[in-house]
Amino acid sequence: MILARVLFAHNIVWLMITKLRTPSLSLLTFALLLLFSFEFFAQERQQFSGAFQVGKFKGEADYSYKVIESDTILDGPFQMERSNLGALLESKDHFFSFSGAFEDDYPKGNWKFQFGEFQSDSSAKVEGYQYRLNIRGIQHEAQGTLQQGKPDGEWTYVVSQIANATVNDTLYSSSIAFDAGVPQKSFRIQDQNGTLVGRFLRNGLAHDVWTFYAEDHGKANQSWYFSEGILTMVETEIEGRVKTIPIFPKSDQSTKTVDLDSRYMAIARLKMRSGDTLHFFEQGIPPLLKANRLYYQKIDRILGELGKAAFMPDFQVKVPHFPMDSVEKSQFDTIKVLYQKSNTIRQNLLKNTQLHILRRSDAEAQFLYAVVLAISDTYLEPLGTLVGYGAVDILDYVSREELMQVLWPKGKPAKKVQIDERGDGTAIRTFVGPEAQHFDFDSDGISVVYQLADYAFLSLDSIQQQLGQKLVNEKRQQEFIALEEQLISSANALNRFIDSVAKSLPRPEREALMRIKGLVDSNLKQYSQTEEAVTKLELAKTLLVCFRHFHGLAITISEIPTRWQTIQETYKDAIWNPFTATIMNEEVKKRITTAYRKLVIPYLLDTVREKLDCGTAQELEQQMDGVYQRVLQLREENTSKLERKLRKEQDPEVILQLLDLTFLPKKQTD
Amino acid sequence: MKQRCNHLVWGLAMVLCIGSSVLSAQEVLPEESTFKEPVTKFWVNTYGNIRISKRLFWDAQTHFRFEETESTPFIGQIGQIYNRHAIGYIYSKKFNVSLGGVLRVNFNTDASSTDRNVVPEWRIWHQYQFAMPLSSMMVYHRIRIEHRWTQGFAEDSAYIFRNRWRYMFRLKVPLNNDTFEPNTFYLSPEAELIMQSGKEVVDSPLEDLRLTTTVGYILTPRLTVAAGVMYSQGQTLENGGVYKQSWTVRCHLYFSPDFRRVKNKLPAIHFDD
Repeated sequence: MILARVLFAHNIVWLMITKLRTPSLSLLTFALLLLFSFEFFAQERQQFSGAFQVGKFKGEADYSYKVIESDTILDGPFQMERSNLGALLESKDHFFSFSGAFEDDYPKGNWKFQFGEFQSDSSAKVEGYQYRLNIRGIQHEAQGTLQQGKPDGEWTYVVSQIANATVNDTLYSSSIAFDAGVPQKSFRIQDQNGTLVGRFLRNGLAHDVWTFYAEDHGKANQSWYFSEGILTMVETEIEGRVKTIPIFPKSDQSTKTVDLDSRYMAIARLKMRSGDTLHFFEQGIPPLLKANRLYYQKIDRILGELGKAAFMPDFQVKVPHFPMDSVEKSQFDTIKVLYQKSNTIRQNLLKNTQLHILRRSDAEAQFLYAVVLAISDTYLEPLGTLVGYGAVDILDYVSREELMQVLWPKGKPAKKVQIDERGDGTAIRTFVGPEAQHFDFDSDGISVVYQLADYAFLSLDSIQQQLGQKLVNEKRQQEFIALEEQLISSANALNRFIDSVAKSLPRPEREALMRIKGLVDSNLKQYSQTEEAVTKLELAKTLLVCFRHFHGLAITISEIPTRWQTIQETYKDAIWNPFTATIMNEEVKKRITTAYRKLVIPYLLDTVREKLDCGTAQELEQQMDGVYQRVLQLREENTSKLERKLRKEQDPEVILQLLDLTFLPKKQTD
Repeated sequence: MKQRCNHLVWGLAMVLCIGSSVLSAQEVLPEESTFKEPVTKFWVNTYGNIRISKRLFWDAQTHFRFEETESTPFIGQIGQIYNRHAIGYIYSKKFNVSLGGVLRVNFNTDASSTDRNVVPEWRIWHQYQFAMPLSSMMVYHRIRIEHRWTQGFAEDSAYIFRNRWRYMFRLKVPLNNDTFEPNTFYLSPEAELIMQSGKEVVDSPLEDLRLTTTVGYILTPRLTVAAGVMYSQGQTLENGGVYKQSWTVRCHLYFSPDFRRVKNKLPAIHFDD
């Protein structure tokens, strides 16, 4: 296509040269200029048509553009839309359509934006070879002129309710005149609650009275009185009753021009809070301004995504300015940190279930808990509010005195926190935070807030430490109770077991069990005589393990007779007795079984009787189990060599070694 | 079982038949049978049963038999030393047989005799023993047949040949246990009838009737001791009308070593399984 245009331009030049047989120099020059300008234009501008996405909007676009240094520059008409008949018939369709033009990437000229959320009743008519569908839903339509990406001239934004394919109701409409992005003259914003009418100075500053006329007579009319951008007062009127609230009284205070946005609202809200007005921001002018801002923001985002634009209407106002100096800024940063720390401590303490239990039985804990609550109310809540103001960046627009008044309407908190312990004023107890004498709460401003925050943190930190120790003690106490319960039940279970089995056992086994019983008693006695808490806790833990080992050993000892029976059964061979002609069981490998019964077991039982303690119990049990299992194994093994060695051996420890079982280390058995 | 019972009946019938034919041939007999005064004796018997394979064993018995003298009852003098050997075959738990020989050394116990003091006696013997459990007891039937060459103490005494037909019925009743196992006492009453035949046996087929009661103690499956008293009577060879009698104290030692290697012992006793 570009080539065709170039050829076309060349042809014109050729015609001019050939038709004018006596071409003058000036004419030739004109023709060449025309050629170059045409060539430049023809080479750069291109057309796009196809699927396109702008922010969250996906649809079909049709536009012209240029490529300069590999950047795409929108230039020329722009059209983008989306509608989906299938979605409409199915449930609902999100429709949009943007149309306008760009010049060197700046939106320019008439623009129109439409957004809709439509549903169809699915009844269609055929008219003139076309299907016609009735739709219902909400449509947003914005239109006006742009110059260099800024609104210029009158812009309207209308939200309509569509029913039966016609506009049923207007839900919102705004009409604002601009001059190169600056709002001018009067404007009008309207919704179903009422209509706001106001005006701007040429520089965009709000001026004169902005009045909201409520649709419903029961609702308040509202008037904001601006004087060259400064909101001097707000007036509400319900059925003839007028209420006036001064906002920024005229003063010599320097001012700053700011946008009439949410931050400005926050400043105004702060001012009105000090004037104790309720629910002002939920009705009247603020919701309308907010809605208008949101709608303009939507358009601004679309244009911003496409090219260079500044669509947001700069409604300008002035506010008194109290900038923080560098000291104040740094103090405020510290206040934020202190508040965060204090808040963490407060939450940890107030949510600590153990503290909730402890404070019911511990007066000191209850007192400290009440102090935490008091500090939370008198210090932390206002500090939190202050930090919140800082986060929305409004501290520069409030005087320090006013700030203190807002944060602590009843005055700054005292260093001494007084707690009425009985609730009847008869038992007042006072808490004083650490290093209280170093704090001075008398002045105003950020510096005193800094001191308050520091004092609150130090106080909470010290309370946390005091309560922490108590909680640790409480935890240890609980642990003690649980451990002692376990200890006693473990000792009881062991004693019951020994009593139940001892009578039926041979004397050596019985005596060994009695030794265990005696040790349990003496250990418990030793435990009860221990006073030092940490040692006692450790001792309880040790004894618990010890008693478990004792129990295991007791069970093993009680099983010795039945184990011997098992060994006897195992070490039997059925053999033929020719004299009775019967089969008889013969004991085999008697040296092994005899060594087990006559030497090893008596030796182990002796060891239990004479040397048992917590340290050896488990090993003795393992030794008894081990030797029993080993003897059972040996039945199937070739033991002739072992039996030979056992023949003369009388030392149980050597026998244990011969059985591949080493006994307790000497140091423990000695 | 049925077959074994038949054998027993057949054996008994034969013994009785022979006895009656001998009696009918008696010519010089006393009017009434006379019984000699009982002689007291003391026997010490060892019974070895040495296993040599799964089913074979060596039966090795040595008996020392004493008898009274005028001055000493029971153990006054040695009467016989008795060596009985055989190879046994264990057919099943309930039946076994043995075949072997006996060398008995007979001492002359007649104090007035001037003949030889010692003469040998030879036997070939075979035995069929049945064992069956009855409640907690054991019941045994033993048939033993001996072919016997004996000679007198006289210098030129010739060997005479006789057959002995022996049947013994024996019970073993465990006393302190339900079964026979180590450390069990048992009571063993027994009765043995010994008949004989041969050219020399004219009117004395009833050689001996032995009635014994023994108490035994099983030390281990391989070692048992027992002791008991036996009364016996029987016709003298010289005259069937004269009966000799004796009271014998008997002491027994039973041992059954098994020198086979362990692996050969298994399975030790399940002969039919």
